Amino acid sequence: MRNKLHAAGCCVAVSLAVTVLTMSAALAQVGGPEYKAPRTSWGDGKPDLNGIWQAMSPANWDLEDHASYGAPSSVLAVTGTVGASPGGYGVVDGGKIPYKPEALAQRKQNFENRWTTDPELKCWAPGIPRATYLPYPFQILQSTTKILMTYEFAKSSRTIHMDKKVPAPVPQYMGQSNGRWEGDTLVVEVTDFREETWFDRAGNYHSDELRVTERFTPSSPYHMMYEATIQDPKVFTGPWKITVPLYRRVERNLQLLEFNCVPFSEDLIYGQWKRR
Amino acid sequence: MSRRTVAFVAVLALAVLASVRLLAQTPSFSPPKLPWGHPDIQGVWTSDEESGVPFERPAQFANKPILEGKELEDYLKRRELERARTANFGGGITGAGPVHWYEWWGRKSARTSLIVDPPDGKIPPMTAEAKAREAQMEKEWAAKVGDRGPADSWEDRELWDRCIMRNLAGVMFPGGYGNNAQIVQTPTHVAILNEMIHEVRVIPLDGRPHLSPAVRQWYGDSRARWDGNTLVVETTNFKDTTDPRMDISVRNRGSWPESFRLIEKFTRVSPDTVRYEITRDDPKTWTRPWTAMLELKKSPAEYLFEYACHEGNIGMENILSGARVEEKENPALLTRKAVRKSPNDDSAENPDR
Repeated sequence: MRNKLHAAGCCVAVSLAVTVLTMSAALAQVGGPEYKAPRTSWGDGKPDLNGIWQAMSPANWDLEDHASYGAPSSVLAVTGTVGASPGGYGVVDGGKIPYKPEALAQRKQNFENRWTTDPELKCWAPGIPRATYLPYPFQILQSTTKILMTYEFAKSSRTIHMDKKVPAPVPQYMGQSNGRWEGDTLVVEVTDFREETWFDRAGNYHSDELRVTERFTPSSPYHMMYEATIQDPKVFTGPWKITVPLYRRVERNLQLLEFNCVPFSEDLIYGQWKRR
Repeated sequence: MSRRTVAFVAVLALAVLASVRLLAQTPSFSPPKLPWGHPDIQGVWTSDEESGVPFERPAQFANKPILEGKELEDYLKRRELERARTANFGGGITGAGPVHWYEWWGRKSARTSLIVDPPDGKIPPMTAEAKAREAQMEKEWAAKVGDRGPADSWEDRELWDRCIMRNLAGVMFPGGYGNNAQIVQTPTHVAILNEMIHEVRVIPLDGRPHLSPAVRQWYGDSRARWDGNTLVVETTNFKDTTDPRMDISVRNRGSWPESFRLIEKFTRVSPDTVRYEITRDDPKTWTRPWTAMLELKKSPAEYLFEYACHEGNIGMENILSGARVEEKENPALLTRKAVRKSPNDDSAENPDR
């Protein structure tokens, strides 16, 4: 009986979450398509995205709807609450990531092993789109021919080529980014990924056939909408999309600080080979 | 005057002109400007061409900042041999690859030192105070290392082995490969990216104060301003440590990081050249200021290769697991007194390795 009640409570929670989700999706449109972003100061007529931005989203814990969850007890014994993840409404349009059935098993395995294998724990380059919604700020440096996005996490960065299409030299953790403007929206096609990066701490993943189409749309002086359409025929049955609002950090004299996380990951990665 | 003499004089004049151009302090070239008026130093630049030039001028080249003719030929030949030796050594230990993988191969800079001031191409003598500091540093280092082996833990390895960093300003100086820097400019910031090890410095131009002294970083905290056509970058807030492996600049030893302030200058002196200078003006450490200079050449590249060092650092796994296997096979290793580099060992700082 208690289980049934629990299950019922869970469903109420889910439908509440769905309602909140719908509401937040509606709210996100405030400012909306009629908002016209300020232009760059040098008169090229493009919207000015320069600044420091950050997502305030549960996306990095799990792209899909999820209740709060803890870590294995061996982890919680050391970390306490810090080892737990907050619940959150999902950011996937339609709610579910369309995994191929065989790929779901890998995702499940990733989730079970996440406290040793999530690339974030290891200070690896986070890849796209994850770099955008990690709980760290990132900075956009929009110049004349290139847009540089530099992320506080693991001092990673990527150059978006706006002046010409530049092919990738080799597959990369951060992929290869070629961009264009569609009205006030910056559209970036990201290709040539390696397969090692994940989308979140819940083990959502991709293969080396990942392609991401990103859309950055200014919605007010203080926020823009980030949409990423994800395609990977090896892992998913079709394309799917996430939507995450990004907020401008407005603190005076703010700058990205160093988060060179290599020293924070070495115990985890190399600890087994330390001299006892 | 015979035709041959005329030709010789002409060649000599060209060589002199070339040296004057190289060492000129105030270039007359007017660099292209960005729409907001700043000189345009955007793009990818490489220090490859300076590969093999010693930091300080060897004694045999006293008064010869630039070589020519037969002397230059011999110098380049010797440099290649030295490079091959280094590459073979490194490759043999770590499997880093054959000689021809290295981008220093076939570079023909005729300069005899990267130091351009003082004019003798040598770092000036250290002050007595700095020597005392250095001795103290060495003592602390010895106490800290104790009888640790070379690979008891990752912490016994250099910062570069660990994929943490290549130091400032060492990151700008040529190493075996990947000697590329990308510059992106906006009206309010300049970003300097280094391929090795995917470093990004986003430098504000608005004259804001430095970070609080409580915030110390591997790459410090940089501020920049345009002084005519020269971008002047001033960096402070370096991490505080006496570990020589964390030496924060080329030849910075003897200086405590708290007081450490690095001045870098970037000047586009021709369409395909940015002159890069670092100046150390620290009267507590050196008897006079000194300056090292590199000519960075424009690369046709549109971007830097992704140098994902830490992600693929199987070298570290192999170094540590190999050491454990060796100890198992030879337990005497567990009790031996370790032989460690002293902080004054120049090889620890050699940016070429």
